[in-house]
Amino acid sequence: MTKVSRRLFTAALGAALTTTGMLGAWSSPALAQQPGSVITVATIGEPPTLDPVGTTSDLVSIITQHIFETLFTFDKDWQLQPLVASALPQISADGKTYTIPLRSGVTFHDGSKMTAEDVVASLDHWLKASPRGKTAAPMVDSVTAKDANTVVIALKEPFAPLTALLAMNNGAAAIVPKSVIDGANPLKSLIGTGPYKLLEHKPDQYIRLVKFDGYASPTGPASGYAGSRTAKIGEVRFVPVPNAATRVSGVLAGQYQFADSLPAEALGRFKGVAGVQPVIVKPFGFPLMIMNSKAGVMANQKLRQAVLTALEPGDMLLAGFGDPAFIAPEGSIYAPGTPYYDAASAKPYGEHGLSKATELLKAAGYKGEPIRIMTSTQYEFLYKMSLVAQAQLEAAGFKVDLQVLDWATLLQKRGDEKAWDAFFTYHTFVPEPSLITVMNPSYPGWWDTPAKKEALAAFNREMDPAARKAKWVEIQKLFYSEVPSIKVGEFYNLAAASDKLTNYTPTPWPFFWNADLKN
Amino acid sequence: MFVYIVRRLAGMMVVMLIVAAVVFVIARVVPGDPAAVMLGSSATPEDIAALRSRLGLDQPLLAQFILYLGQIARFDLGDSIFLNRPVVQALAERSELTGLLTLMSVGIAVLIGVPVGILSAAKRGRWIDQTALGIAMLAASVPSFWIGLTLIKYLAVDLTWFPVAGYGAPDASFGERLRHLVLPAIALGIPNSALILRFTRTSMLDVLGDDYVRTARAKGLPPMVVVLKHALRNAMIPILTVIGLTAAVMIAGAIVTETVFGLPGVGNLIVSAVLRRDYPVIQGALLVVSAIYVLINLSVDLLYAVVDPRVRY
Repeated sequence: MTKVSRRLFTAALGAALTTTGMLGAWSSPALAQQPGSVITVATIGEPPTLDPVGTTSDLVSIITQHIFETLFTFDKDWQLQPLVASALPQISADGKTYTIPLRSGVTFHDGSKMTAEDVVASLDHWLKASPRGKTAAPMVDSVTAKDANTVVIALKEPFAPLTALLAMNNGAAAIVPKSVIDGANPLKSLIGTGPYKLLEHKPDQYIRLVKFDGYASPTGPASGYAGSRTAKIGEVRFVPVPNAATRVSGVLAGQYQFADSLPAEALGRFKGVAGVQPVIVKPFGFPLMIMNSKAGVMANQKLRQAVLTALEPGDMLLAGFGDPAFIAPEGSIYAPGTPYYDAASAKPYGEHGLSKATELLKAAGYKGEPIRIMTSTQYEFLYKMSLVAQAQLEAAGFKVDLQVLDWATLLQKRGDEKAWDAFFTYHTFVPEPSLITVMNPSYPGWWDTPAKKEALAAFNREMDPAARKAKWVEIQKLFYSEVPSIKVGEFYNLAAASDKLTNYTPTPWPFFWNADLKN
Repeated sequence: MFVYIVRRLAGMMVVMLIVAAVVFVIARVVPGDPAAVMLGSSATPEDIAALRSRLGLDQPLLAQFILYLGQIARFDLGDSIFLNRPVVQALAERSELTGLLTLMSVGIAVLIGVPVGILSAAKRGRWIDQTALGIAMLAASVPSFWIGLTLIKYLAVDLTWFPVAGYGAPDASFGERLRHLVLPAIALGIPNSALILRFTRTSMLDVLGDDYVRTARAKGLPPMVVVLKHALRNAMIPILTVIGLTAAVMIAGAIVTETVFGLPGVGNLIVSAVLRRDYPVIQGALLVVSAIYVLINLSVDLLYAVVDPRVRY
């Protein structure tokens, strides 16, 4: 090596070492984060808003259910239980008057005491601003305060889903101070009655919720979202981590104590790893292929039946999720173990037959018009499923125009009945059947046949649980004969939690009251 | 030089106006609706129409554009639809992270790329040169997200030397925040160091073949002085250009790395805004990024005069 090259080599090496030295300067103890009474929860991204009333976004409800509470909630068996109310409502014999007693001593995060006036204002706001409230609004005659601790909802006609709508944590009938309500606009400030209150929100960085010392808990043993609630952890910090691989690495490294919505293939990375436990949430959700019942080629019911017959949902599920541990080819809209499960009325599910599909196509008078199916790579499982669906439909004789869009475009385009014939989406588990989007006649797809309208009205009028189940079965039969949508099957959610996180209850919308952090 | 700077800044105003118009049109032409995103997938068309009206998105495009130009004239970039704060504030909150990440990654790229590039040129055709070029080719070919995920796997998860992601806890010290940027800076710096290395090598090879370098050697000057004092200075103009461009691109172009490391930087802000159709943020952020891009290029042009006395403005 000549003199110059030795010197140059030394200079280059020096520069490299300086760089490395600079990088290693902070490489001492791991992460320097001793969580103590703080847990960091990695979520799939930044929520579009923190107002729980105006949106049905799951991400929003996961966070805001710690801040806001509703009159009722659900226990582990998805049965209705009181939350801000002190008991379940007294319903008049004609099913039109709901008298709701309120818990006394409930305090808002601003220190003020909750009154019936606040509840009335909150419910009025919900009826105007929430997608779920708007579903109930046409049935509601008035909401009044009978006394300081009692609210009365008068209906124009019996409407059985009301209590479930009031219990949902998204599009939520959140009880807030009357002073923060401004007509149908988003809440002016985020003040609730929950076990945690909002401390700080730095978009794309973190949302800090801290224990609310003035919290008044419902009584009774904890069960699902119901029963006693205690904020044992001082601070719950939600951090948006859009990259799923990073959420997996973060929980493995101990940076996050909980990571939500992980890819199925990450399950293997948790096996044999000390300190982290995978959490599989069942039931969680179901992918749907929504068809346009109102306009275009799919308005033809026979053609929709042909689609149902042409598809093999098991293949679609496997393509979407890869691991059989995370899927169940289940046709009943409600999963086994839930109150509305019924396999018999879902029999056409999975009766896959290419020749039968081709016959149905002929009977439908199909002339090879392209079927415009919208999908999005933003939800990879939906995209993969739509590829399999495309292949299966083409094998049966359909001509498919698969349109791959970003999610925002799909959401906009689906509102235009002339722009599409089918689209892929998914639905998170909801405890009340009438809350399933497809049941709403204004939801894109516009399933609103006279038979469905009548069956749904009868179901909504029925107050007796056993009779409601029988009426739901009739709706499910219609779902499979009129085929407004195709339920592809059940899928489960993978999350992961640190071993230090104890008393955590797996639910579709993870919550952290009653959970604790071991030292 | 003053006249030159004033002329360039005036040109910049024109560029900004064109950028403002183009971004406005593109953001609106692309389908998608912030109201639909905000309301969630269960929202009905009626809910979406009501929110659009409240946000002023149902106004004619021309009316929206005139309003937007009026805001820009008052140096007001508007308010984010989703973030519940002015766009300027959203950008300011992300400027520290983006500035530091750009500095650190450009620093790494320069500290590796320039010395190794010089060495490679000085030892042209020898094993050092071949090895450096091979490694540079590899570094340039490997995507930064893969480097990022590999660094996370070994240095953050296995060895726990660095945090996996994020920009530190709310009470994190400046040092801790810097520590969160080390892995992303390496992931961004390595591919860019390869680019700088190749430019440095090529530029140095051009200069090392010049007559004046041969003369310097013939005079008996030490090889180190010939390479570092005589040759390097004249080779600096293309190197400065590529360093400037690298820095400019990183301000908004570190999107993939920011996503992998969960960093709330400017790139992440722009991508989130595009996915949510947060028009004011898309417009404001791209306008500011374009201005920075133009300013960096102007600074690089001015630096030419510093390294090369023949350049006069």
